[in-house]
Amino acid sequence: MVKELEILAEGEGEYHPVDPDGFRQWVRDHKKRALVPKLMSAKEAIERFVQDGDYLVYECNYLQRGPAALIREIIRQRKRNLWLGAKFTWVAAALLVEAGCVSKMDVGFFLFGPTVDRAVKEGRVKIYEYSNVVMTNRIKAGAMGIPFLPVRSFGGTDGFNYSGAKIIRDPYTGQPTVIVPALNPDVALIHVHQADVYGNARVFGTGISDVESALASKKVIISTEEIVDTEEIRHNPGLTAIPYYCVDAVVHLPFGAYPGEMAGRYASDVEHVVQVVGATMRGGLEVYLEKWVYGVEDHFDMLDRLVGWKRLQQLVQRATIKEGYLP
Amino acid sequence: MIQMQQPKGIPAAYFNEREHQICVMARLIEDGKTYWVAGGGTPMASILLAKKLYAPNAVYVTEDGVLAPEPALPLDPIMTMVSSRASYRALQWGTMNSVGFHAQIGLMDYGILNTLQVDPYGNVNSTLLGDYKSGEFRRFGGPGGADSIASLCWRTILMTDHEKRKFVPRVDFISSPGFLDGTEGARERAGLPKDTGPYLVLTPWALFDYEERYLRLIGISPFVTMEQVLGEMNFRPKIAPQLITLEPPTEEELTILRTEIDPRGQVTITGDIGRWIQKREDGTYGPVEAEPEGRPNPNLPRSW
Repeated sequence: MVKELEILAEGEGEYHPVDPDGFRQWVRDHKKRALVPKLMSAKEAIERFVQDGDYLVYECNYLQRGPAALIREIIRQRKRNLWLGAKFTWVAAALLVEAGCVSKMDVGFFLFGPTVDRAVKEGRVKIYEYSNVVMTNRIKAGAMGIPFLPVRSFGGTDGFNYSGAKIIRDPYTGQPTVIVPALNPDVALIHVHQADVYGNARVFGTGISDVESALASKKVIISTEEIVDTEEIRHNPGLTAIPYYCVDAVVHLPFGAYPGEMAGRYASDVEHVVQVVGATMRGGLEVYLEKWVYGVEDHFDMLDRLVGWKRLQQLVQRATIKEGYLP
Repeated sequence: MIQMQQPKGIPAAYFNEREHQICVMARLIEDGKTYWVAGGGTPMASILLAKKLYAPNAVYVTEDGVLAPEPALPLDPIMTMVSSRASYRALQWGTMNSVGFHAQIGLMDYGILNTLQVDPYGNVNSTLLGDYKSGEFRRFGGPGGADSIASLCWRTILMTDHEKRKFVPRVDFISSPGFLDGTEGARERAGLPKDTGPYLVLTPWALFDYEERYLRLIGISPFVTMEQVLGEMNFRPKIAPQLITLEPPTEEELTILRTEIDPRGQVTITGDIGRWIQKREDGTYGPVEAEPEGRPNPNLPRSW
């Protein structure tokens, strides 16, 4: 007797191919089990590990403990045809679209404005609809090595129709149940407080899906405020959020979340935030990119020439809350 | 019947419609319950005000996994999540997945959301205005955390402006689910948890609940008429036999709101705050001709 799982409804959106065995093989063949130093520059990390056409996720975002410096480096290297996991993101999605790096976006949330609106209307960017939590649930499934995850949200929305989700009859309860496809991104960018040269990483404070993205992604680039000795990691192993063996590159980028806040270390640059949010909502991102990305050599050149030591020290001084952010 | 706290303090002489909406929402917050709110904006301001005056044991979580914080206000623009001030003195720092799973097992009593559009069944649009299929639309940011809040909390409350373009017979796009087509069991058929769904809609002018999964007017602010309320809606809601008066803000509420919760005016001064309302000599309320001067406009983005 043939028994089939009953599919009650399904979205028509294209989704990043689901292939748990393929991902396992990638992990077997590419993730280094030995403790190998992975320290490199942002330029080298992005050149080596971000290819045109990759599915990209970044944790947090350009304004909130995100890998802002790595995102700028992707734009500077003019990567193309990226498929963006646009969850919990303010201006980064718009910056990457403005720069022509993106051709597809799975949307949870981004800060809207003329750039993305125009790109979508002109057919340069195709959007698939999800929600923030559904996106992190998908990454969770990818991190678990399973093909899909049942979730209790998302059903009944119009987004469902333009996604890769399905409603099945749950074979255990008999109830209609939404399932979403696992997401194994090609590359994840994660900015952390501390890491050792092998990629053992500590994150202090809240977050979106740092650990899940690190485990789910084929290539993982960690940027860190501070490099700590592995002896320090071994001294308090409970603080290790991301284990070294899923990490491919470690980039030492102090103020790597600038202009965003790095909780416990420095505050956001309010003036800069207001400018880039304004440019996203009203237009003018090309001017922003020219100044802050194309017009500088790298992150350190930007800090040196456009921000300055005085300003950076002010941001450090404004981060008065330390509780919970010190090991 | 809706439980609403009596306002504490003496009625204010001057206030704007945004302040009024936040104060009314604060009186609707139930003590000892959990609220999943979008970081910043009117939902967060309301619950913070409620915690000061009406519901000290109400607890809120934000999308980035902050559980029960005592935030260090005011927050810098946009820094409502993953920030040290917003996360200050929380009981737990989690992640988006952790708070999502907490809601999925039923730990979140209420969610409070803003919206672009809402329909009679409480469906929420935050994705686009226009027609998705034809490509004739203006794109917005997407549901963010709202879809999960509307799906997984036991009760969902909407805070929106009272405008014709917001109350529509059918939303252009269901970003977050209400009662869907309004039929019994529609949410369950879509895979959503049992006994969840829209609970209230609060605008600066009016309060609605749902009767048989259809929007019902149950309260009106003292500075508007029934005709004004219905005139700014693109469909006719059901109307309760007896309407509550949404009491205006008190001086005590406004003092806390203006000096402790939103001293930079990011929610109650900047952006679309509605009209300024004045208490007249005869005790009635009406819009003032000119805005009172005093608090500076900090020229910051509307959202915290």
